[in-house]
Amino acid sequence: MNQDEKLNIIKDILLTDEREFVSAIEKKIKILENTVNKKENLSVKVDPIIETKLNEFVKEIPETLGPTITEALKTEIKNSQDAVVEALYPILGKMIKRYVQHEMKLLSERINNQVNKTFSFKRFFRRAKSKASGINESELILQEQTNAKIEQIIIIEKGSGLLLAEYSKNKMADEDMVAGMLTAIKSFVEDAFKKESQNLQYIEYDLYHIHIQNFSSFYIAVVVSGAYNVIFKDQLEDKLFEFADKEKIVKHLKNKSLLSKKIEDFFKNDSI
Amino acid sequence: MTVSKKIVLIGHFGVGKTSLIRRFVENTFSEDYKVTIGVHISKKTITIPEGEQISLIIWDLEGQDDIKKTRPSYLLGTNGFIYVFDLSRPVTFQDLNSELSFLKENYPKIPVKVVGNKMDLVNKIYLKEHQTIFEPHVDYFVSAKTGSKVEKLFSKLAEDLI
Ligand SMILES: Nc1nc2c(ncn2[C@@H]2O[C@H](COP(=O)(O)OP(=O)(O)OP(=O)(O)O)[C@@H](O)[C@H]2O)c(=O)[nH]1
Ligand SMILES: [Mg+2]
Repeated sequence: MNQDEKLNIIKDILLTDEREFVSAIEKKIKILENTVNKKENLSVKVDPIIETKLNEFVKEIPETLGPTITEALKTEIKNSQDAVVEALYPILGKMIKRYVQHEMKLLSERINNQVNKTFSFKRFFRRAKSKASGINESELILQEQTNAKIEQIIIIEKGSGLLLAEYSKNKMADEDMVAGMLTAIKSFVEDAFKKESQNLQYIEYDLYHIHIQNFSSFYIAVVVSGAYNVIFKDQLEDKLFEFADKEKIVKHLKNKSLLSKKIEDFFKNDSI
Repeated sequence: MTVSKKIVLIGHFGVGKTSLIRRFVENTFSEDYKVTIGVHISKKTITIPEGEQISLIIWDLEGQDDIKKTRPSYLLGTNGFIYVFDLSRPVTFQDLNSELSFLKENYPKIPVKVVGNKMDLVNKIYLKEHQTIFEPHVDYFVSAKTGSKVEKLFSKLAEDLI
């Protein structure tokens, strides 16, 4: 190998390397270009990174953003207390009722055991009546409880006592005056027994029972004829809460005719 | 659709609150004095000049010699007050200033009509004598007995509420 040949070989090696190096870099740049320009290609690379970051972020929310969000919610609730109360009223009502019901049930079971053992006039009379009339006893029990009937339902604004809506099966008294009178009685009684903020729930008037269901800015008065008993009261309460909740009463307090229609549709079909 | 408004009548005992309402609603009058206990509520629907129907739900409160003794819950949501005193009995208007400022302070946005009732029992000279008390406050001199200005009182108040 002479000098020239050697030089050529070296040149060859060097140049080839250089060329390969250049083409290798070119290739890499192409791939990079490709990756950066084509979204889907880029996302294959970047997505995992974002995902890990996001996961970390989500994990950190409770510590970093949590207090801010809680604070924001708190102010929001504070500023729109009335709206919150209105929205929660039917739900809270139901919850409290369930609780009280449960406690009452326990209590009444205990009492019932006692009463059954000791005396039962009612049963005695029922037996006598059953014998005399030939109707069996359990049917008589049912009869005692099926008589209650809704006569009129009135939605009344608290305070002013102005009528917001009304539905009646048989027109009774002037509903505007009934609404005012009930409100006056209600505030009198509630003022008179103001230990805690108690609400009047029931008025007996003539042959009628007036059931009063309180909500935040309004109350519903239901005029009932017949046997208004615990079972009936219970069903009525449930139905009223359901009505307030489902029909979004709060939103329609300003629309007398719509609200009255809603009462009618909701209550016309059954005795409750 | 008819709008409903709550009107409340207040003032001392026996000034004629119930009589004014009976005159307005039933167009009757009685010399008998039956003290109102608690509240009595009546209603009259009228048409104001703009053609609108308005139902006045009128709260007749029991008399109080001091307005501060009125049960506050009766006054909640009132749309308009009528403050009544008895022109013939100075004891019912001697505290007019403080009685009316009580209303202004506690119900600043609610219209109040101030009326001297039993106009049939007094004469022009008497009114002149008490001008310093009456003039700044009184909106109407009325009589439940003769019916003078009663209709006007209620319908003007109703117009103010629309
Ligand atoms: N002469 C005359 N007597 C009147 C007039 N208005 C009321 N009276 C009489 O005054 C007495 C009291 O009238 P009421 O309307 O009961 O007075 P009130 O303000 O409702 O009284 P309380 O309910 O006790 O607060 C009655 O005997 C009425 O006949 C009037 O315009 N002229
Ligand atoms: Mg009276």
